[in-house]
Amino acid sequence: MSSEVINTKRSKKQAAGPYGSVGKAINELDDRLGVAKGGRTFMDKIFPDHWSFMLGEIALYSFVVLLVTGVFLSLYYIPSTALVTYHGSYLPLDGQRVTEAFASTVNLSFAVRAGLLMRQMHHWACDIFVGSIVVHMARVFFTGAFRKPRELNWTIGTTLLILAIANGFLGYSLPDDLVSGTGIRIAYSIILSIPLVGSYLAFWVFGGNFPGTTVIPRFFVLHVLIIPLIIIGLVGAHLFLLVRQKHTQFPGKGRTEKNVVGTPMFPVFMAKTTGFLFVVSGVIALLGAFAQINPIWQFGPYTASRISYAVQPDWYMGFLDGALRIWPSWSFHSFGYTIPFEVFIPAVLLPGLLFNIAYVWPALERKFTNDHALHNLLDRPSDRPKRTAAGVAVLTLLGMLFIASSTDVIANFFRLPLNEVLWAMRILCIVSPFIAYPIAYLICKEVQVVKGGGKRKTANIVTRTSEGEYVATPAPKYADDEHQELDPTPVPTYIIETPEETGTGGVRTAPR
Amino acid sequence: MTSTYLKRAAIFSFTALMGLGPLVLFADHVGASSSHAGYQTTRKNSGTPNSTYVKVDPKTGVVIAYGDSAITYNAPSSKLDTLGRALFLENCASCHGTEANGVPANGTSGSFPDLVGLGPATIDFWVDSGRMPAADVRAVQAIRHQPRLNQSQALAIAAWVNSLDPSYPSIPTPHLKDANVSDGAALFALNCAACHTIEGDGDALASDTFAPSLRDIPAFEVVEAIRTGPANMPRFTGNLSDDQVRDIVAYVTTEIQHPNNPGGFGLGGLGPVAEGFVGLLVGVGLLILIAYWVGERQ
Repeated sequence: MSSEVINTKRSKKQAAGPYGSVGKAINELDDRLGVAKGGRTFMDKIFPDHWSFMLGEIALYSFVVLLVTGVFLSLYYIPSTALVTYHGSYLPLDGQRVTEAFASTVNLSFAVRAGLLMRQMHHWACDIFVGSIVVHMARVFFTGAFRKPRELNWTIGTTLLILAIANGFLGYSLPDDLVSGTGIRIAYSIILSIPLVGSYLAFWVFGGNFPGTTVIPRFFVLHVLIIPLIIIGLVGAHLFLLVRQKHTQFPGKGRTEKNVVGTPMFPVFMAKTTGFLFVVSGVIALLGAFAQINPIWQFGPYTASRISYAVQPDWYMGFLDGALRIWPSWSFHSFGYTIPFEVFIPAVLLPGLLFNIAYVWPALERKFTNDHALHNLLDRPSDRPKRTAAGVAVLTLLGMLFIASSTDVIANFFRLPLNEVLWAMRILCIVSPFIAYPIAYLICKEVQVVKGGGKRKTANIVTRTSEGEYVATPAPKYADDEHQELDPTPVPTYIIETPEETGTGGVRTAPR
Repeated sequence: MTSTYLKRAAIFSFTALMGLGPLVLFADHVGASSSHAGYQTTRKNSGTPNSTYVKVDPKTGVVIAYGDSAITYNAPSSKLDTLGRALFLENCASCHGTEANGVPANGTSGSFPDLVGLGPATIDFWVDSGRMPAADVRAVQAIRHQPRLNQSQALAIAAWVNSLDPSYPSIPTPHLKDANVSDGAALFALNCAACHTIEGDGDALASDTFAPSLRDIPAFEVVEAIRTGPANMPRFTGNLSDDQVRDIVAYVTTEIQHPNNPGGFGLGGLGPVAEGFVGLLVGVGLLILIAYWVGERQ
């Protein structure tokens, strides 16, 4: 009697049954929804071990942070260009006529608890989101992970990058401050520069002439609803294809085109990836707390008559701004029309060309290498010197264009004449990709012949003999370095399959 | 065999053409150097000041003070004339000439500014901010540095130059007590931010010229700059009243120089480029390192 009362642990265990309380709950779920079969496949999903396979997760988790902080911000932000008189806690703006969008952004920064932290986290998360997409894309490109059968996922990924950049720009524009207003003005001009349809398109997007009153509400709906929904859908498709097609892996012992060697989803990978979610949100929270970003209260509200110098867009739009800055003023005036090539080429043709090359690259590579085989094993970047060099050249061009977006800052910081900085950037943007290509190509060729390249380094143990001589001996290998072929965990046999019922006249039955 | 060589040569030349061809279009721009015409100067500003309060010296009939409750302008005392002349001959005459007319010696052309009739505030601004005596007379724009002459010496030079042809604006004293910082912020965004940037950090303008930072300037120098328009800066006279100038000065000396600026480290006020570098190097870079740390099973 008394022993039963004291030993609660055992009694609880007995009450839970042979599978434990968690197992019992899952069994209940399985009885109703049949989660066992799919769940087992999901938990046994194999993820190959390589640090570079975690890069996409930075993007995924910073997107989660974007969603959470974005929902918080949308509770306080008012997407309206109606003019109000600001009477808030930031005194230098007191009494100024500002739009409701601007006033609500300043208010959520100063008067809402944790509002500024949320806004800064949202902005930093966006910078990191786009940055990690680019890094992830570079990994996929340089290792050849986009090859057959994964071209569709490459296409989805490229679309995600474009959407992320577009949504970043839209969100940057929402506070309606002096700096972002300038950005909207530039975007309006870029749309105008498209031959034939430009002015119609600009009026369609802005609901009339610049600045108008509809642009902020429209950008808001696009930013918080339409584009995030498309991004979520495409991320789902991206991950579904990843699971469906299984992950790529680097060549190694026991790794073939037909298998995947790595750790299962549960428990190892799940622990790793959940931890990584917290690390990503932690880094973003630290940046949001300690590094100021976009202090709109200093910029003040946007009105079309005001402009500030030294205005740049966020970094992911920097290459467009840089191209616009350094492009010479080529425009044609005839028959009463102006074709502003100085805007159209750098701001419309250049990004169009870059993203289209990204889209068709897998097809181009198939055509030029005549390689139509399935590839589940990754390339080492040095084994494909031409592809690697091409990627490096494009990244160099983009980097140079990004630097060109701050010609004035460089000129001012280093006390150089602005015109010469502009000219230097023009020449560097054209010349540097052609220099980067052969250098990257030669480095790849050199790395190819390095002995033991790509293998994990083993340490040398340096010992000093009594005579004073130093002797280096290689350290013993880690046990894990050797490939171990483990027997797969036996699948439990308690799933009893019911015999199929045979259909009767005209009624078809399908097995569950 | 030859066809592949031809093909390769064609591809190579096409690439070279596409890559380097546009350079040809810039050819006539290359080597076009700027001619150094010396510092730009302020226009002369004689006449009677358009102010509510004007104080005239009863003996000489010269205006010695004018202004209103926002800013008062005081001409430097004529007692400083003798000292000012000595200091001018010692520090300025080698370029501006002994008569301050921009002719250093007989037969030289006037490539240096004529200072007569520019008003005491102009002389005081250039000397007191350390731009004059110039560090490099060939530079397009004088750079602000540690002043060689102190404040009273600058006033003395201004007094002597002013005695040659009494003119305006005089040395201003802004009264910031009743200033409206909010109006100042709006006026700053409208009139100043286009060159000095909205955060007042200044930036490079055209070749060799720049708008200086406003982070460390005394209030009266801001007024002097607005009223006299040194170098490339436009001179704001009729379009800004003394009240408005005072508001701008109040905004510059409070919110630009001592901003109420929450949100963490300001990243040097360099804007999105610095933010991009931090986001990529610190944010993405740190996360990549962490991915490297957790990503592989050791």
